[in-house]
Amino acid sequence: MATDLQGERSRTTETSDLPALGVDPRRAALGISGLTGFIGLWWVASLFQPEFVLPSPVTVANTFVAEAASGEMLTALWQSSLHWIPGTIIGTLLGIIAGVALGWSPLLDDISSPVVRTLRPVPPLALIGFAIAWFGINNAGAAFIIAIGAFWINFYASYGGVEGVSEDLLDVARSLGVKSDLELVKSVVVPAASPEIMTGIRTGIGRCWMLVVASEIFGVPGIGRRILRASNNLQVDVVISYILVLSLMFLLVDSAFRAVQRRVLVWR
Amino acid sequence: MAITHSGGSTVRIEGVSKRYDSEQGSVQALKGIDFSVERGEFVCIVGPSGCGKTTLFRILAGLEPATTGGVLLDGTRVTEPNPDMGIVFQEYHLFPWQTVRENVDFGLQKTTVPDAERRQRVEYLIDLVGLDGFEDSYPKSLSGGMKQRVALARALAIDPALLLMDEPFGAVDAQTREMLQGELLDIWQETGKTVLFVTHDVEEAVKLADRILVMGKNPGSIRAVVDVDVERPRSRTDPEFGDYYERVRALI
Repeated sequence: MATDLQGERSRTTETSDLPALGVDPRRAALGISGLTGFIGLWWVASLFQPEFVLPSPVTVANTFVAEAASGEMLTALWQSSLHWIPGTIIGTLLGIIAGVALGWSPLLDDISSPVVRTLRPVPPLALIGFAIAWFGINNAGAAFIIAIGAFWINFYASYGGVEGVSEDLLDVARSLGVKSDLELVKSVVVPAASPEIMTGIRTGIGRCWMLVVASEIFGVPGIGRRILRASNNLQVDVVISYILVLSLMFLLVDSAFRAVQRRVLVWR
Repeated sequence: MAITHSGGSTVRIEGVSKRYDSEQGSVQALKGIDFSVERGEFVCIVGPSGCGKTTLFRILAGLEPATTGGVLLDGTRVTEPNPDMGIVFQEYHLFPWQTVRENVDFGLQKTTVPDAERRQRVEYLIDLVGLDGFEDSYPKSLSGGMKQRVALARALAIDPALLLMDEPFGAVDAQTREMLQGELLDIWQETGKTVLFVTHDVEEAVKLADRILVMGKNPGSIRAVVDVDVERPRSRTDPEFGDYYERVRALI
């Protein structure tokens, strides 16, 4: 059979030459100048304020180093991870499972719709009472708060992704011998919705770092606790140092996940 | 290696009609369609847009139920898409997250064909549709013609007795279309499968078909059945070709 693909070949692109981290020197330079400008403004502003209102970048840097050197910072980070990690993982998994199930099955969707709509607007912070009552003032309680945050983001992302899966792809799969719903969900629905699911996971990871502070409000130790205590003592330099820790952790985890996302979604 | 174990199948369309009811009233899309396709036959269904040929295709494929009547594939009533027929759509509908190889392998994975034979069959089919070298490419990097080749290989992989195609070459450029038509004829002659091919292009129908089912609209029904008695390969410039073309044209 004729295998003449001239003219078609030219439109093919290599999928292997994706940039590893995607750092463009021009954009990096712009970013660095923006950051420098921000710190400059902060420094100028701090000249006219007392330390407990706005400490200078230099003071913050010193505090940061001191906190890091004393081991306090690492301890707080470790304590926070103990609920951030399980909370994020559990909330993400449950959110994806529920989102896929309800997005796929109109029956389940109809049954759970009133409950979902009632629970959805409840902010995780409002559930602190339950966290204490059900789990206690411990990592499990804090993980619960974080998991709630991750759950809704992943639930809606997956739900939307599944709703958007084309009927035609499902028809093709059926004509190729896929019989059961479970098989269809596994081999077509989840992969087809994976870009939305991945976006949900990534958004959720970020949101969970924000929730770390909230989840420690009732006394569980960690970065959030440290921030709240320093706030009460007007140690703004300590507050900013630990906010920086949160930012850095977010940046680290987000970059790592972005790399994973690119690998997984190489087909896009 | 032969990709076909099944040969062709017979198709009987018995008194198929389709009615869509909505608040604006009801539309009779198809009325009283009766038709039989022989084993190994290549039948084209042509008609103007709105004549219900795509509806008929969807009923044939088991994607939609008929309001009355039904379709028998080798004597068995068709109620849902099943691996006895390979479906090829105009819009390809490849699985974008899978490579060419994985797409072709999709249906085979659900069968009991042993791994070694499966791999061999996938390689053979990719070769057959002229895509060797592109096994690990994703659909996004393929042209329309290449995507349609993958879709064809994927449909052939499960060795269906019937190939059902809905304007499969409607979305590719004229040159690629002509090439794909030739390749489809080669594959058909090699495998002996029954082919039901929906198109709005009269020339395409005359070029490919043993018989042409001409449909008219309001309501969608069979207007005529034309036997195309011309040696293959057929050429547009043949006077005989021209005669058939005019005849079918006039019927539409």
